[in-house]
Amino acid sequence: MGKHVVVIGAGVAGMEAAGRLSRNGLEVTLLEKESVAGGHINDWFRLFPDRRDSNEVREYLINLSSDPKIQLKTGASVDKLTRHGSSYLLTTDAGENINADAVVVATGFSLFRSSRKEEYGYGIYENVISSADLEKLFISGEIVISSGKAPQRIGIVHCVGSRDEKVGNLYCSKLCCVTAVKQAIEIKEHLPDSEVFCFYMDMRMGGALYEELYREAQEKWGVNFIRGKVSEASETIDGKIVVKVEDTLAGRPLKMDIDMLVLMAGMEMSEGGSKLAATSGLKTGENRFFASADHHFGSNISNLEGVFFAGTCIAPMNVTETISHARAAVTEVMEYFSNNNR
Amino acid sequence: MDNLFDKLMEDIRFEEGLNACMNCGVCTAICPAAEFYSYDPRKIVDIVQSRNNELIEDLLKSEQIWYCGECMSCKTRCPRGNAPGLIIMALRGLSQDLGYFTESEKGRQQLAIKRTIGESILNTGYCVYIDGISPEFHPEQGPTWEWVHENRVDLIERLGGNYKGDGPGILRKIPQETLDELKKIFEVTGGLERYEKIESYSKKKAAEMNLDFDEGIDNEYFSHIYKTNNGSHTR
Ligand code: SF4
Ligand code: SF4
Ligand code: SF4
Repeated sequence: MGKHVVVIGAGVAGMEAAGRLSRNGLEVTLLEKESVAGGHINDWFRLFPDRRDSNEVREYLINLSSDPKIQLKTGASVDKLTRHGSSYLLTTDAGENINADAVVVATGFSLFRSSRKEEYGYGIYENVISSADLEKLFISGEIVISSGKAPQRIGIVHCVGSRDEKVGNLYCSKLCCVTAVKQAIEIKEHLPDSEVFCFYMDMRMGGALYEELYREAQEKWGVNFIRGKVSEASETIDGKIVVKVEDTLAGRPLKMDIDMLVLMAGMEMSEGGSKLAATSGLKTGENRFFASADHHFGSNISNLEGVFFAGTCIAPMNVTETISHARAAVTEVMEYFSNNNR
Repeated sequence: MDNLFDKLMEDIRFEEGLNACMNCGVCTAICPAAEFYSYDPRKIVDIVQSRNNELIEDLLKSEQIWYCGECMSCKTRCPRGNAPGLIIMALRGLSQDLGYFTESEKGRQQLAIKRTIGESILNTGYCVYIDGISPEFHPEQGPTWEWVHENRVDLIERLGGNYKGDGPGILRKIPQETLDELKKIFEVTGGLERYEKIESYSKKKAAEMNLDFDEGIDNEYFSHIYKTNNGSHTR
């Protein structure tokens, strides 16, 4: 057909979409703002629920998107997207113009900047870290706190930047409960003598094998789950973190000393996505993610003809859902071309 | 009987303070009163949002609603934008209106607050003025207070104050026209009416409890509500 599709974002959704589009005979340009493809998965050690090595998924995606029909351009973000007749003109931040017969937006998510929830002391106290920081420690193979020692008591705070009017995010990020459970188990694997406390409001284990993982965390690993949202963290003179929380099941306010606090940062519309929305006329919804044409049967379809969404640029999704959603976007692109018969 | 939830809804503070509570406990975890008292603002919010008339009535008659310091720390943190402190204010107001406050030890102390701080504002322009902090009723001031209180005129002068004097300075006299204005505010906003309600419900309670009731602080009922402590308020 000789049609050319530009995919914006080379994370899980973008790589999957690009690979599937090229398999369907289309020419693809895959734009990535970072210097390498892969997206967030590059920073993650293992993936829930089976704690599979993230490298395996990355390799699958690299294989899929390594095709002569796919041109990967890294270090390129899109400044402008404008319609020109039946095609689109994309302008990159480097000033390059690219023509596209269709566009797949796969700009993904940004992790909530935990320092915005200042009462948790991220960026102020050294031993308060984010879920992403903990993955880096897992990759390094060593979990240590600022003193250089291994932490004995570790707290995990759920819903940081999610379900919280105070930061303007009313929605649930959907993946942080299972991430907390996964990370709690991994901490126990690394440090069998440590105590791990998860502070949660609701355990939202609504994915395949999530509940089983939760149960394993309790039964096999002895992770403690305390139902209450942490109100604030402070630091003692010897670098411990004091957490204030109510054990709402016992109706008891607690003050706990711990060595390391891990914040389960939520998912937000990515900065690249917001920038694109502002310059392209693509609509966003209540939660600032891109707004699909229909929540039930048009989640890949945007308000601009020929521009489609793939993955977490519309809502939080796990890797499995992201891959399915990217494939669905490809189906929409193919149908768009055959309907327009051009 | 009145629907108490509807009555609460007539209070702007209640409407403002209650959206929907998800029982996260952040308000209780941050609450300075909850650290000390047997007090859980989360539970209070959960009870009022149940709209259960009996439970709300119990709450209005309970000790719990009198522990809050109205510091509003809870409002700054609630992820649902509720303000338990404002809800408590509305509950207190309704408890005073309906006379339920006389059913609890902490509630009965409303009369003490009215007659000390409440009247002090109107008479002196100060919530608390040194004359009113008598050694008998304020043992927390420590052993030297009796001497300080007795010698307050000389002492305040040496400290550079302007005790009951005209013009500027610490502890100065508040001019009559300012006091008149204050009184007007209490009249227009219903403060005075509330004072009267507290007086009349307390009088009724005193009769029920067989205790002498009179104006001022020198009578059995006042002394009783001021000094008794059942010992079960704190954690
Ligand atoms: S998935 Fe869990 S931690 Fe994440 S926002 Fe939802 S309830 Fe909170
Ligand atoms: S902080 Fe808000 S949502 Fe949480 S328990 Fe208190 S009132 Fe309810
Ligand atoms: S306003 Fe009352 S309930 Fe809220 S934190 Fe302060 S003392 Fe606690």
